[in-house]
Amino acid sequence: MDENSLSSARERLAARQTELLNALLANGPAPAGFDEQRLGVERLALLSKRRGIVRMLGPAVADELGDRFRPLFDAYAAEHPRRAGSRAREDAASFAEWCRVSGELSEKRKPRWKFWQSN
Amino acid sequence: MAGIKDLGVGIGWRSEIDLTVERLPGVDFVEVVAENLHIGHLPESVTLLLERGVPVLPHAVSLSLGSADQVDLHRVEHLGAVAEAVGAPMVSDHVCFVRAGGLDSGHLMPVPRTRDALDVLVANVKLAQRNLPVPLALENVAALLEWPDGELSEGQFLAELVERTDCWLLVDVANLYANARNIGTDPERFLDEIPLERLAYVHVAGGEQNGDIYHDTHAHAVLPEVLEVLDELCSRVAPPGVLLERDDNYPSDTEIAGELAAIRAVVNKHRG
Repeated sequence: MDENSLSSARERLAARQTELLNALLANGPAPAGFDEQRLGVERLALLSKRRGIVRMLGPAVADELGDRFRPLFDAYAAEHPRRAGSRAREDAASFAEWCRVSGELSEKRKPRWKFWQSN
Repeated sequence: MAGIKDLGVGIGWRSEIDLTVERLPGVDFVEVVAENLHIGHLPESVTLLLERGVPVLPHAVSLSLGSADQVDLHRVEHLGAVAEAVGAPMVSDHVCFVRAGGLDSGHLMPVPRTRDALDVLVANVKLAQRNLPVPLALENVAALLEWPDGELSEGQFLAELVERTDCWLLVDVANLYANARNIGTDPERFLDEIPLERLAYVHVAGGEQNGDIYHDTHAHAVLPEVLEVLDELCSRVAPPGVLLERDDNYPSDTEIAGELAAIRAVVNKHRG
């Protein structure tokens, strides 16, 4: 197929895929023609997968947050959909930072001052 | 196809079950997730399996070949480099999109089964193939939702993809089962429509029914119904290989061995 029709196909497909991911990840409006209930199921499945990965990568943060981990993560995720090209570890670090900034997590323990290293 | 005639029964190698994979009897081949490997630093366990002559097939999850965007050639290059590092006869990824509009879904999302989506997928697959040292197999994914305005059935969509790109198929029977439960795909029609002579191998995995939704978790036991889909497939073609995927909530070695044996029993039943 020629380049022009391929690039028009790419544009049309990009619009549809972007609309769907916006609805699923960034609280965008539901795209026409989709079953709303299924969009909800998919939204939760993606959120739960992302939450599980962040929990696995940062067990200490999840432990410290305890029962607050899940609601906090879900609030963070809604505000910060994962950007293309970002890594899961960056997501985990950014969640921890978000919790610290909002006072939900203690500050990172600073290395203790040692008098013999003070000069 | 050279080098992939008979893989046998295998399991997805994961670092959490590396020792299990090494000591289980009857692991004829393994798959590794390409994104988790670093060239020059292969896990010892993978090296050990290679020394034993166990084929190691790289499986990718991030090429996003169904994305409207151009293929990220760095990801393709990495997959090719992993294939060369493990001497693989073939690599694979999925018929799906992961990223769109600057967002990453973190999962294998179904593509709309439209002419537009197929044309874009074909162009992306061809570009990936030109940049890979070995043949590419593409896998059907599990969908929780259905795009409106589908113009082709899933089987027709894959058949045309194969015809236009000469790719191989990696058929996931658990995904077929999931789609039958969740979006009403007919597994038999799917198997009727795809070119079975282009079957590279088969995936089997466990999942969980939650209300009216079946979740393809790879963290639960393989359902007998999934083995029935495998049985249906084997009644039509002898698959070159069948591989068990387990990604979380790892059970005992005995349980994994039992699942591998159950898979082998289905395959052998048709080999008379």
